[in-house]
Amino acid sequence: MAHAAEAIAAGKCSVALITLAGRPRSEGHSGATPRIRGADAPDTQWEFPLGVATVNAYAMVAARHMHQFGTTSEQLAWVKVAASHHAQYNEHAMLRDVVTVEQVVGSPLIATPLHRLDCCVVSDGGGALVVVSPEIARSLKRPLVKVMGAGESMKGQMGGNVDLTYSAGVRSGPAAFAEAGVKPSDIKYASIYDSFTITVVVQLEDLGFCEKGQGGRFVADGNLISGVGRLPFNTDGGGLCNNHPANRGGITKVIEAVRQLRGEAHPKVQVPNCDIALAHGTGGLLGSRHGGATLIMERE
Amino acid sequence: MAKERSIPAPMSSPETEPFWAAARQGKFLIKTCTSCGKAHWYPRACCPHCMSETTEWVESPGRGTIYSVSVMKRAPEVYAIAYVTLEEGPTMMTNIVECDFDKVAIGDKVQLTWRPTQDDGPPYPVFKPA
Repeated sequence: MAHAAEAIAAGKCSVALITLAGRPRSEGHSGATPRIRGADAPDTQWEFPLGVATVNAYAMVAARHMHQFGTTSEQLAWVKVAASHHAQYNEHAMLRDVVTVEQVVGSPLIATPLHRLDCCVVSDGGGALVVVSPEIARSLKRPLVKVMGAGESMKGQMGGNVDLTYSAGVRSGPAAFAEAGVKPSDIKYASIYDSFTITVVVQLEDLGFCEKGQGGRFVADGNLISGVGRLPFNTDGGGLCNNHPANRGGITKVIEAVRQLRGEAHPKVQVPNCDIALAHGTGGLLGSRHGGATLIMERE
Repeated sequence: MAKERSIPAPMSSPETEPFWAAARQGKFLIKTCTSCGKAHWYPRACCPHCMSETTEWVESPGRGTIYSVSVMKRAPEVYAIAYVTLEEGPTMMTNIVECDFDKVAIGDKVQLTWRPTQDDGPPYPVFKPA
């Protein structure tokens, strides 16, 4: 999105199409199976032989967060509970049943401390976004959404200075907020990449919605449920309940944020007066190396 | 003990060949920088902390503390993936073996050991309770 907006602003094009699609479910992918992430990446010989799957890399982040900040499985479970409250209204969601904290922490352990219901679905699917110049936007008969600010960053193992308590969002988030000229308390709706419940907790902290280490308390007691809590998130059900069509869930996050800004989300989850929204994605593994991108948008 | 997961052979590179050659002799080498004095992991030709090219191999006794650990339950053979912080400073991704998977925890002291790898690959550095 940011690259498209920059290209348009630079006069290189006036309409940009962004697409993402994947068939990981048909292809039998599983977040529990170790796979080589870049055969020529220098990190691979120090990761792949150890059995780094997706889930256990994120599970190490969860284990450290619990150890360092006292975060509990029950607090993590609230992320899934909130997503399920939203997914019940999405007829396309893979998982539409509302779940309880007890059901999440009672589901089988996959990679300690993460349970089956801490994990996202694996689905086929795709999405597309069209970004246009202001001139073209004004000629369209649709509610307009404007890019306010964006940031992107990456994080690796940093030569052994490993700190699993934060993500690339610590840099992409502030960059996006600075460009947009708004602060976290201005955000009415947030799409937060949710490969696992812990992913949401760490990223919310990094984006400044709460202090570092307080993410577990922040998400508890329905604080992410639309109409209930302070920060409605992933009102389509997110990756935890709706879909997760490829390795990066970013495009579905932007799409639901745009729906919210246009007032076109499901009436049961539509945020009233949603004028500013944020979408944040992570690609890669929070537990080893990844990129992060933050996008802030407003309704015009 | 339950059957252990078989470890694939690492794909070595010119930069890391001395590490794997030493591993075949049971020696655990890490890289330190003679410019900034810091050790790093994984081994590189250039120091990732200060970017100098003056790195050297040193043998490590392989003592460390678990920084984080996750026991992979949904696998044919249960195994533990972890980050271990070495006494020399760097934190490295590894496996914890010969441990009680119900008790292994952050803060545990661990000692380096080796596991054979597939296809006659070099032994791989893992850790066991100290």
